[in-house]
Amino acid sequence: MSQSSSSATVSAPAPADSAPVPALARAPRLPPVWLAQLLIVVLLFAAWEFAVRQGAVSAFLFGSPSGTAQAAWNLIVSGELWVHANYTLWASAAGFVVGTVIGTIPGLALWYSPYGAKVVEPFLVAINSVPKIAFAPLVILWFGTGVISKVALSVSLTAIVALLAAFQAAKDADPDIQRMLVSLGATKRQIFTKVVVPSATPYIISTFRINIGFALVGTVVGEFISSKYGLGHVIFVASSLYDLNTVWVGIFSLMALGFVLYAGVDVAEKRLLRWKDQTDATNFKL
Amino acid sequence: MSVATPKLEIRNLSKRFHTPKGTVNVLDDISINAAAGEFVSIIGPSGCGKSTLFNILTGLLEHDSGTILLDGKPQTNLRGRVGYMLQRDLLMPWRTVLDNVLVGLELRGTPRAESVELAREYLHTFGLLPFQDSYPKALSGGMRQRAALARTLLPDPDILLLDEPFSALDYQTRLFLEGMLADTVTQKGKTVILVTHDIDEAIALSERIFVLSARPGRLKSEHRITLDTRSPLEARHDSRFSAYFDLLCQELDIQTAHA
Repeated sequence: MSQSSSSATVSAPAPADSAPVPALARAPRLPPVWLAQLLIVVLLFAAWEFAVRQGAVSAFLFGSPSGTAQAAWNLIVSGELWVHANYTLWASAAGFVVGTVIGTIPGLALWYSPYGAKVVEPFLVAINSVPKIAFAPLVILWFGTGVISKVALSVSLTAIVALLAAFQAAKDADPDIQRMLVSLGATKRQIFTKVVVPSATPYIISTFRINIGFALVGTVVGEFISSKYGLGHVIFVASSLYDLNTVWVGIFSLMALGFVLYAGVDVAEKRLLRWKDQTDATNFKL
Repeated sequence: MSVATPKLEIRNLSKRFHTPKGTVNVLDDISINAAAGEFVSIIGPSGCGKSTLFNILTGLLEHDSGTILLDGKPQTNLRGRVGYMLQRDLLMPWRTVLDNVLVGLELRGTPRAESVELAREYLHTFGLLPFQDSYPKALSGGMRQRAALARTLLPDPDILLLDEPFSALDYQTRLFLEGMLADTVTQKGKTVILVTHDIDEAIALSERIFVLSARPGRLKSEHRITLDTRSPLEARHDSRFSAYFDLLCQELDIQTAHA
């Protein structure tokens, strides 16, 4: 029906190709984002190197890009960088995973018992308000100087955040959807698995981003205090020797680790949340 | 009235809420009924307790006194035996259209393989088959509400409770969905109770209309609507339509221009 009407009737004139399009969507021509980013990095390092060579900035206190590159090369060639980065990566990843699991599951489970939730809430808030890094010396005493203490520190930082986020997300599950399912005869358990868990998932995943940072903090602080390995250990030892270039190698390596872990969360998010409306206001012309 | 047992009968139902400020009477001695396959509406001003009544029927609230009878047998509530549809479509955004429609049967433990075919039939009827694997975010408001209607009908409930299901839609979409609803429930022989603010919609769809008063909700009057057609669109052209409209406006104390 619609096909025949479009071909047979006179209808509105088709827009001619040559007609000038009104300047609605004419964005200013900007370089690609990656190029702008690269430019910023190059400029920063160039300025730093230049300032050090001119003597405006002390190479002793600030290091230099060329010195940092040399230090990085030495650590790569000796294989040390890989050993330390690997140690930090796995300790913080393990802390992140364990912390997320032992935080998220009880956080969601609190949905089951409003009474239990009311009882424990002030305790959770109290624990959350303590700077968890203050536990670091205790954790080292309890778990020793090995990798377990780094994982434990990362867990102590991430678990409470994951718990509070999961609990809040569970509480925010749409009450009307729950009512609708109840009217269809759903049990509490079905409401939990079919509404509470899926609707909390986006919040739980966005907490991953915060917790990746916390997991790295926990591990690195553990390495500062007492360790034989890890990027935190590299930074700590190098700074006590005033080897600023090696300190920078440690810092940039941590940055790279953070990047890798964040990218992992992005992949997880895209896979798990295909249903979510990804529109965001930055796509519009305002 | 015929002597047959009504499909649903609510007798002398009352509900009070106890708040810190005192007791609020929400429903006061409400008695309504619906015959099998009948389409009845409840209209009333805001705060007349229409939604409370539905919450009681679905078992989300307990009533203080009164009886609910299904096929003449007393029930505490109708949980699991009613289809409940609200103004919000309540589609779960993390489920595809098909999975949303299937949820009622899934809760009962019906094997998916069995229910999928039936669900696809409904989706076909409602013109949603091409969207069965889409997420709700991709659908328009009218399509979403059609999916909600399919979800409500799929578990084959005895009674449909519709709480202003179309009031968030634009007029054309509403007319279209009203027609679709009327056709479907007539064909499947469903008993429907519609709660609405929209007098126009109530007359066009219903066989009987109950008017409730403002808080406390009391049954004010009951009207049998006799029109020559069950089509909501044609109903609006029926010569008796405007007379019903004026009558119900008066009942609700709405001033019409030529009253």
